[in-house]
Amino acid sequence: MIRTISLLPGATLRAFPAERFKQGCLSIQFLRPMDRQEAALNALIPAVLLRGTVRRPDLRAITQHLDDLYGASVGALVRRVGDYQTLGLYCGFIEDRYAFAGDRVLMPMIDFLEELLLSPVTEDGVFFQDFVDSEKRNLIAAIQAERNDKRAYAAGQMMRRMCAADSFGVPRLGEAEQAEKICPRSAWDHYQKVLRESPVEIFYVGGADPEVLAERLRQMLGKICRQPVDLPAQTPFRDGGGGDHTELMEVSQAKLVLGFTTPITNRDRDFPAMQVLNALYGAGMTSKLFMDIREKRSLCYSIGSGYYGSKGIMTVSAGIDARNEGLVRQRIEALLDECRAGQISDEELTAAREAILSGLRAVHDSPGSIEGYESVAAIGRIALSVEEYYQAVERVTREQVMAAARTVRLHTSYILKGAAS
Amino acid sequence: MIMTEYPRLGERVCRATLENGLDVLVVPRPGATKKLAYLVTDMGSIHRRFRLEGKEHTVPAGSAHYLEHKLFDLPDRDVTAQLAQLGASVNAFTSYDMTAYYFSCTEHFRECLDLLLEFVFTPYFTEETVEKERGIIGQEIDMNMDAPESVVFEQLMEMMYRGHEIRTPILGTAQTIGQICPESLILCHRAFYGPDNMVLCVVGDVDPAEVADLALSRTGREKRPVAEKLCPAPEEMTCPAAYKTRQMEVAMPTFQLGFKCEPIGKGPEAVRQELAADLAAEALFGESSALYLELYQQGLIDQSFGGGFESVDGCALLTCGGDSMDPAQVRDRILARAEELCREGLPEEELLRMKRSAMGRRIRDLDSFDSTCFRLCAYHLTGFDYFDFPAIYESLKAEDLLAFLGRVVRRERCSLSVIEPLGNKEEKHG
Repeated sequence: MIRTISLLPGATLRAFPAERFKQGCLSIQFLRPMDRQEAALNALIPAVLLRGTVRRPDLRAITQHLDDLYGASVGALVRRVGDYQTLGLYCGFIEDRYAFAGDRVLMPMIDFLEELLLSPVTEDGVFFQDFVDSEKRNLIAAIQAERNDKRAYAAGQMMRRMCAADSFGVPRLGEAEQAEKICPRSAWDHYQKVLRESPVEIFYVGGADPEVLAERLRQMLGKICRQPVDLPAQTPFRDGGGGDHTELMEVSQAKLVLGFTTPITNRDRDFPAMQVLNALYGAGMTSKLFMDIREKRSLCYSIGSGYYGSKGIMTVSAGIDARNEGLVRQRIEALLDECRAGQISDEELTAAREAILSGLRAVHDSPGSIEGYESVAAIGRIALSVEEYYQAVERVTREQVMAAARTVRLHTSYILKGAAS
Repeated sequence: MIMTEYPRLGERVCRATLENGLDVLVVPRPGATKKLAYLVTDMGSIHRRFRLEGKEHTVPAGSAHYLEHKLFDLPDRDVTAQLAQLGASVNAFTSYDMTAYYFSCTEHFRECLDLLLEFVFTPYFTEETVEKERGIIGQEIDMNMDAPESVVFEQLMEMMYRGHEIRTPILGTAQTIGQICPESLILCHRAFYGPDNMVLCVVGDVDPAEVADLALSRTGREKRPVAEKLCPAPEEMTCPAAYKTRQMEVAMPTFQLGFKCEPIGKGPEAVRQELAADLAAEALFGESSALYLELYQQGLIDQSFGGGFESVDGCALLTCGGDSMDPAQVRDRILARAEELCREGLPEEELLRMKRSAMGRRIRDLDSFDSTCFRLCAYHLTGFDYFDFPAIYESLKAEDLLAFLGRVVRRERCSLSVIEPLGNKEEKHG
């Protein structure tokens, strides 16, 4: 269903033709290695680009232009895909047929994208100082705001400790200390390097002819002097951290996060089994963790597990009363032991498989989810297509789930709790 | 069923009101794999006082939400597990003035819908199960107490209202949920969960007639009495408290600013007022406004800033908020800019641009099943067909927007709720 069109060396368009939506979307992503030194720089650049172009030199001119394009949106795109970090822009817009008669939206949108990428406001040959300064402040605030969401904060703190030697320990937006060091010159030089060297992935969902779009995009990318450099392959988890950690803060509810490792990644044959294990152990309202720790014992409101297939990391997080930490940890381990021992009912296995299958069936129901799933799969170099993955999940057996569970080892624990408790 | 076409939106809706009063709305989406169903009652956390069969009742704060949790229990089996077997994911939420139960699935739609109807219309509460839920909801309340965005909004509601139930958090408090028992839950269910008080909305590639038939066979033909909501006296258009701050574990100050508005009632005129207020907010502090640019460039707001008009049964307010080093200055600048706008007027081309943008965004949102289902239900409960929004936008004039700003964006109608990072030891609890 996806048409892959090579635009230029190191630049690919993936188009998902779809007539049934009211909106289309187009994303452009430059691929970088996830690296402590440049993560904050990569996160900053799209925000600076969105501040103004030579033709539309401030936010208001940009927003008014988007208003004229029927409330189209352009946003910064900064993703972590395994060992890679992507930076770019995401555009959403109504399909031409919903505009007033004769109006066009898609092509003006591409013109505008080109303007944002290739004609930013400059000063002395580099990014405009005001834009860099204020977006730096915003980036640092966004990095620090993780602290406001205690669940995300605790998950991030655990990951930093678990992945001290792995790229997964670098937060998606980088660290505040690195952001502090950025100046207009360093941001500009880095951006030029990104434009020149980084592989480019463009993803489009909508009703336009992919070939026509490809021609326009080729023209745009042709204006950049490109010397693309390949990225290294994705790597499995590199051990270098671990331990048991406690942090005190003024909070009402404690957040417990456990990090587990497994050698199974999304590049392995056993990946579907590991996904099923994660679903039946901790994802959703019929999982073992939810049914036992919340429903049976009333020990929490939120509990769940997550599996990061690109690395082979599984996490469990729960919001609990700190006094119950021992009991909750014991149940988390005991329920994993049940999986290892094959104490898995037919209902649990079916529910887990169905949860994944339902999610896969619905991937193609909205432009945003198509872009999100397919572009990340392509960038992460996941070998299985949606259809192949679907069939593999359908075939996962209890024995395979047991085998996957036996590869899972507790690696790091972290708890955030009130100073008084 | 009656089918209505909305050619401008490329949409169709099939509607029926069953003999028992249940309204059924189906939005066919041929070719889509996902199917989504919402079953909604117009009881929310604020509907604590009501008259049922001649008798007045007051239930503890947090009852609507507690009921939402407990309604998933059936006497003989676990309905969530059953839905999971069918590949459906089910959930629910409680807001100030409605409660919604919903599932999405890709297959076995009939069976899933049947289960949804069964559990929502089957109240089953025992001392033991109700007691067990207290620990879970207690943890949910604790989680909210650590979430600055909840705390700053709940504090704002307390500051703006004297008697309206919006002052009380949707979840209730540790103390009020302690008073909830099987009898009070049964009472709420009897009062507001009659088919006549509810709406079922489905989006997806389904047969509309089949949805209506199934709903009728599960809910019976009989109408049930619906409770009369007892509302507090209308409030004065001033706020009891102008400014309140509280300290929490946050990285930088965060605020919510509220302006008290007259309740808008129900029906198309109410929706016209709502969309006018929303556009007025856009003109005043939206991303394409002059003020937004100024505040952003001066570092007084960042991308977390946003706001709009909100209407809840019996009250309405204009809010905005986000992170800021100087929330009081943001408030003052908004007040000053509103005056200026009212003096200078709004150019016609600017209004047109804003309308085009707002319409385009709403059309794009129709691709989202969840947003479409939610909006159809919420507007249906206020007596309005959501898909009529294009005509309303067209009828709006600059005077409508300015009249709203002139009346509402005033110092005496405004409260500013702020959360500051922990700094000194004297913590003031708002």
